[in-house]
Order: sequence, then structure tokens, then C-alpha cells
Amino acid sequence: MKKIIVENLKYKYPLSEKLALNNVSFEIEQGEFIGVIGRNLSGKSTLCQAMVGLVPHFYKGAYGGKVIIDGLEVRNYSIADISLKVGIVFQNPFTQITGSKMTVYEEIAFGLENLGISRAEMINRIDFALNLLKIAPFKERSPFDLSGGQMQRMAIASIIAMKPEIIVLDEPTSQLDPEGSEEVFRAIQDLSKQGITVILAEHKMEKMAEFCNRILLLDDGKVVDFDVPEKVFSRDDLGEHGVNAPVYTRVCKALNKKKAGTNDYPVTLEEAVRVLGGMGL
Amino acid sequence: MRSISLYTERNTVIHAMDPISKLFYILFALLIPIILPSIKVSIVCVVLGLIFLLVARVFKKTIPVFSFVFLILLTVIIIQGLFRPGNQTTLFHFGPFTLYKEGLMFAFGVAFRVINIVSAFMILILTTKPSDLVESLVRKGLSSKIGYVIISVFQIIPEMMSSMETITDAQRSRGMETEGNLQTRMKAFLPLLGPVILGSLANTKERAMALEVRGFNSKGPKTYLLEEKKYRYSKVVQWGILLGIACALAWRILV
Amino acid sequence: MITVSNLSYAYQKGNPVLIDIHLNIDQRSTAIIGQNGAGKTTFVKLLKGLLKPFEGEVFIQNQQVKNRTAAELAKIIGLVFQNPNDQIFKNKVLDEVMFGPLNMGIDKQQATENAMEALEMVGLHDKLDMNPHDLSLSEKKLLCIASVVAMDTNIIILDEPTIAQDYQGKETIKKVIKTLKEKNKLVMTIIHDMDFVAENFERTIVFNEGKVILDGDTRFVFAQKDILKSAHVEAPEITKLGEKLGYRKTFLTIEEFIDYKNQERNL
Ligand SMILES: Nc1ncnc2c1ncn2[C@@H]1O[C@H](COP(=O)(O)OP(=O)(O)O)[C@@H](O)[C@H]1O
Ligand SMILES: Nc1ncnc2c1ncn2[C@@H]1O[C@H](COP(=O)(O)OP(=O)(O)O)[C@@H](O)[C@H]1O
Ligand SMILES: [Mg+2]
Ligand SMILES: [Mg+2]
Repeated sequence: MKKIIVENLKYKYPLSEKLALNNVSFEIEQGEFIGVIGRNLSGKSTLCQAMVGLVPHFYKGAYGGKVIIDGLEVRNYSIADISLKVGIVFQNPFTQITGSKMTVYEEIAFGLENLGISRAEMINRIDFALNLLKIAPFKERSPFDLSGGQMQRMAIASIIAMKPEIIVLDEPTSQLDPEGSEEVFRAIQDLSKQGITVILAEHKMEKMAEFCNRILLLDDGKVVDFDVPEKVFSRDDLGEHGVNAPVYTRVCKALNKKKAGTNDYPVTLEEAVRVLGGMGL
Repeated sequence: MRSISLYTERNTVIHAMDPISKLFYILFALLIPIILPSIKVSIVCVVLGLIFLLVARVFKKTIPVFSFVFLILLTVIIIQGLFRPGNQTTLFHFGPFTLYKEGLMFAFGVAFRVINIVSAFMILILTTKPSDLVESLVRKGLSSKIGYVIISVFQIIPEMMSSMETITDAQRSRGMETEGNLQTRMKAFLPLLGPVILGSLANTKERAMALEVRGFNSKGPKTYLLEEKKYRYSKVVQWGILLGIACALAWRILV
Repeated sequence: MITVSNLSYAYQKGNPVLIDIHLNIDQRSTAIIGQNGAGKTTFVKLLKGLLKPFEGEVFIQNQQVKNRTAAELAKIIGLVFQNPNDQIFKNKVLDEVMFGPLNMGIDKQQATENAMEALEMVGLHDKLDMNPHDLSLSEKKLLCIASVVAMDTNIIILDEPTIAQDYQGKETIKKVIKTLKEKNKLVMTIIHDMDFVAENFERTIVFNEGKVILDGDTRFVFAQKDILKSAHVEAPEITKLGEKLGYRKTFLTIEEFIDYKNQERNL
């Protein structure tokens, strides 16, 4: 089933002369883990926000084309309606704190209270989200007393607890150390395996190659490519689009080592080892 | 470390009171000195407020706020004492200046009212979890949006104070002297106000989006994580306060 | 240039964040790595004089940090904050960058020159009149770097400069670091991007739970697999690849690896 359909989406912020999204079209199946990459200002955040209706409802501006989420056309529904289906985690964890809750635990409850979830269910879900993101030890702290990385985990937990069918994450691990990013990517992958559709924008190409089913490459508001990581990262023109392939791909490209029986280069450590192994040693 | 509220955890009678009753008390502190303008009444109210703060064991926390308030009141007292139109009765001279009784009394009147109101607010702010207050109000039928706005008042002050601190660090680390005597500190402090306010405004938009996607505007009925708190004697306290205000009114009209 | 002896620090009593740090920091460009919360930011704030040591001493170019105000130290040591929103406080990009130089007593014309040069280096020279709050996060980070570079201090510390940077942004930061090194400045950087560390820093110091558990040449440090693991730190991707393939050599850059491979083939 097509979970997300985007058709000829065009968008311009108010007071801006330039299209932030220019004729973007793609389709996503339920349970896919989609990575969005592209240089800064290429439109990743704008695209993420178009999935929940913040574009255009919150910003206004000029909007053309269609975004259909699970059968609902975003333009015709309020953000509140769409947020029942789609959750979004923003880039800056600090401004995502509601500021009306005293503890991390209550902070995660905020969205659930608004949705009218029963108390017992709420507690279940909060505990699940706290454990998934490994922040249970901080649950009694004030949300503002967390480090950047911990805040990022809390922001993700707050959205996951709302059990959306689709989760959109905009650079959700920028403040985390490598081990923390790995944990967060794994947690999100678990969700995706349970059927939740994931859209994630990031610059960490090695992680994107390892975890995403497909990669959407944006440049200047346009879709350059939307394909499996091997295909996207094997492109010769990545540099022109302001993106660097994963280290493994770059190495194999330089050594001209393709994956057996394909025209693509390896994108993960395991694949690279398979292709390069046997020679050295 | 940033902490968003000035709430101070203690186990006292005042803390255990219904937040709504504390709101009633603010009303009381606001109205009584207006209804009964005598300075004696104001003094009684101030003493009452201070007693509550002491009982709640949060008096120490009020010191920074009161110091700030006193600083402002001091200028009021000086200006009014020296220059208030209608000043007649000389109290004493110093240099070319003369301090007058009328202006001084007026200024004291203002000062007591301000202190009175500030202490009533401090009682509420220091002894009530903001979330408890808003939850009480929302359960009483207040729209959750207004509830959020109220709470953001609690959040803005500490957030601004902590951004002052971070900006001071930013200035110091780029060679601006912020340590030292009062003059140096003030010179560093005043230009901060603009950026701090601007910074919080910039955050407001992003925060509004974050609230939206957490269902803040959803139409359906809300639920609550915390079970409704039962406060004892709420009705008695609240009716008592209203009765007090009514008596003051009656006194004013009849006597 | 910097001597740290028996340095300890705690934000709250009984909860030490740095424990007995001894370090001698020389001219080599230095990366500081370690888990979130390991105490890296706290450490550099102590060097900068923004925090006062709980115990121990810090000497910078033979000046005792304890006896100097942060403002005085600003002439010799610059710090780019982790969170740009904590650092930016002017309404115009150019004013933000000129703030430091003007405070150091540099005359206006020279300050403008410094500022323009620094802004050009990070590619923000065409946004002089913009309000920094309207820049994107990655641009704000670059602005903060420019603001410190313009002060022309002998020591420059960057706290997680590559946050939110794309490929181009990282290249820009690389270039800045290279330029500073060429001017004989000491560059220290807190960073989570290990490939960036391997490519740009001669020395690497690993923090773990408030202690320095590893310190040395970057190549040596990334060869210590077990210690890195106990500090919850990973080696760079290329190092991991070499290791997985069974090479004894510790690779730091892709170029090294490719050259090695090509030589191997020619043998
Ligand atoms: N709030 C906004 N108002 C006006 N223009 C914006 C706003 N946010 C982003 N833009 C513009 O939209 C384009 C895409 O930006 P963005 O979606 O933030 O890219 P990315 O997330 O890939 O860095 C850029 O040209 C940017 O300047
Ligand atoms: N202002 C502060 N007040 C209290 N604790 C703090 C403060 N800043 C940091 N900490 C604590 O000190 C420890 C080290 O923090 P930090 O130096 O920021 O680590 P890093 O930069 O390595 O991620 C953490 O446990 C953090 O929670
Ligand atoms: Mg973005
Ligand atoms: Mg840090």
C-alpha cells in the first residue's frame, strides 16, 4: 500500500523569491525507512515539514501539487488531524521542549494528553519510549537540565509515544556521539520493521547507507534521485550535488571494485569487506 | 543549568494548598489595599504575605526578586519624596534637596502595594508546580491554550535569566569585562536585554510548531497523566478570602 | 602552551565532572573526543577561564588562569561554543564578528579587515547585514567560528564545529583549521566525527567519565581498539575497514588506504 504520495509538490516560503521545493514527486510504501540527503538549504527540512502540514498551514506561502498521507490530502486537513498519523522530530531539540512540564516523564506525556489517551495506556507508552531511547534514568529530571544529546533522545521519545504510523526525523542525531547515533538509528529501524514508515534527513552517510531502504537525494528543491543506497551512492555526480558518498563507497570506487554481478559499489562496511577481502592479508 | 520554573520543592502547608486558592490570595492582595487605602492595612497585608513565604520556607528564594523590586522602589521613593507635586511638609534637607512628607508617604503607599502583590505572586510561583496550577485551571474549564500561555510566563523569566548567563559568557570569552565593580557589570548587562528578548522570540516560533505537532490544537477531549489532586479545605479557604474582600468592601462603604 | 595539572571540577558537590586531569598541550593540532557527557566542554571552559577550577591549576602561555578574568584571557585563547545560540548576541552578522576584535582594543579599520577576512573564510561575506537569527543552524555555527577567528588569538578551541554541516561546510571548516595551523596557531577541537579527526589532527585526547584515558598521536590512539571501546568511542570508518580486512597498519585517510592497496597490487 502506498503510505505517502507526493505529486508535483512546489512550495515557496512567504517573502522568499525562490522555490524551496520544486516539482517534487515520489511514493513511499508502508514500513519503508527512507533517508533524505542533500546539501544544506537543498530543501530537506522543508520537505519534512510538508509531510505534517506545517508546510503550508503554519508558514502559509505559495503551495502547489499534492501531498497525500494515508489517503488524506495534507492541504485539506489541519495539522492537528495530520499529527495523529505523522509525527515529526525537529532539528533543534531545545525549542521542542514544551516548557510546560517539570519532568522528562511528564514532557513525553504532553502529546498523549492532547490526544486524549487513557492514563494506563499513557504510562505504558511513555515507559516504552523511555526504554527505547534509553533515557529512563533521566525521567525525573527537568527537560531543560538535559544535555543536547539527551534532549534529542527525549524529543524522539515524545513523538514515538504518540504512536504515529509515520515518523519524520530532521537531523535527529546531530548532537549525539557516534554510539548514541547508532543506538538511535537502531531504535528507529526497529520501529520501521514493525511497520512504521520512517523518513529521516541526515548528513551521516555511512549510517544512511546502512539503515535506509531507499535514499532521496535533493538539490535546490528538486529530487535528483530516489533509489536504493547502492544506486544513489554509486552516482558519479554526487559531488556536484554537494554530497559525499560513504567512506566505503569512495574507497571501492577509487579501487574500481563493484559489488559482484552488479554495476554498483559497496556502501557499508560489511559489503566493502566482502568486495575487498581476499586480496590483502 | 536551565530550569524552567522557580518552583521550590518543600513539604509545607502552603505547598499543599490548592493552586486556585493561591490565585484567590493574589486577588486579595491586589484588591484590599485598593479598597482600604490606609497604609496600616497595606502593612498588615505585607506582613501576612511575608509570613506565608516564611511558612513555605521559600523566603531565601525571594531575595533576588525583592532586591530588584527594592532597587526600583528606591528610585520611586527618592523621586516622589523630592519632586512630587503637592509636596509641602519638609522632613529634612540635604544639600540643595528637600525631602517632603507627602511625596514620601505616597511613595511608601505605592511601595507597600507593590511588595504586597509581588509577595502574593511569589507565594504562587515558588510553592506551586506550574503544571499543577495550569492543570487545576484547565480541569476547571480553562482552555488549554490559555493554560499554556499562563505557564509560559513561568518559563520566560528563568529562561531569560539563564540566557543572560550564557550571553555573559559569550561576552567574556570575547574580551568584554563583565566581572568587577557594579559599573562594569551594568555596562555589560544592559545591552543584553535586546538580544535576550530577540532570542526568546526566535525560539517562540519554533516552539509553536513543536506544540502543533504534539496535538496541541486537537479538538477532542484531553486526558491527564497525573491523577487529579485532591486539596483539602480549598472551598473553605477560597470562600474565606472572598468573605474577607467582601468585609473590606462593606467597611469601606459603611464606615 | 597549556599546562594542566591535577585539575578537578564539579558543578554540584559530590558529583565530579572532571577528575585529576594532567595534560601538557603543545603546538600540535589536537582533537578531544569522548562520549556525550564525558566532560569535554567543561574542560575547555576551564581552559578559557569561564569556569574556575575546583582543584588544580591551568597555565596558558605561563599565565595562571585562576588569576585572570575571562576577558583578559580572551586575548590569547578563543573558544567557539558548542551551541551557536549561546554565543550570538548581536543583530548583524558583521557586528557579531567585530565584537571580539573591538573589545581587544584593535582599531575599527583593522577590526573590520579582520572580520571581513574571517567571514570570507567561512563564506558568509555576502550576508554582512543579515540578522544572525535568520541564518540556518550550520551558517550560525560558521558565523561563530568567524567571530573567534577574527580575534586572531594564539589558541583557538572549537566545540563540535561540524554539527549540522554538510560536505561543503566540513570542507570549509577543514580549510579554516588548515589556515590557522599555517599561521602557527594551536587549534583544539572537540568533535564526534572521527574521520574528520583522522584527517585533520596530529594529536588526539580521549575523555571518558571525567578522565583522560588515552592521549597521543592520532594514529596511535586509533590503534588502541580496546581502550576506545571502553570509552564508547569508535575508530574512523577507514580505520575500521583496514582492521576488518586484517591489515596491521592503522589507516587514517582514504588516500592512505588506496595508495597502500595500489602498491600492494604492483608488488
Ligand atoms: N522559514 C523560512 N523562511 C523562508 N525561507 C526559508 C525558511 N526555511 C527555509 N527556507 C529556505 O528554503 C530553502 C530550503 O531550506 P531547508 O528546507 O531548510 O533546507 P535544508 O533542510 O536542506 O537545509 C532554502 O533556500 C532556505 O533558505
Ligand atoms: N551547567 C551545568 N550544570 C550542571 N551540570 C552540568 C552543567 N554542564 C554540564 N554538566 C554535566 O557535566 C557533565 C559533563 O558535561 P560536558 O562537559 O558538557 O560534557 P561533554 O561536552 O563531554 O558532552 C555531564 O554529566 C553534564 O550533565
Ligand atoms: Mg534542515
Ligand atoms: Mg560538549
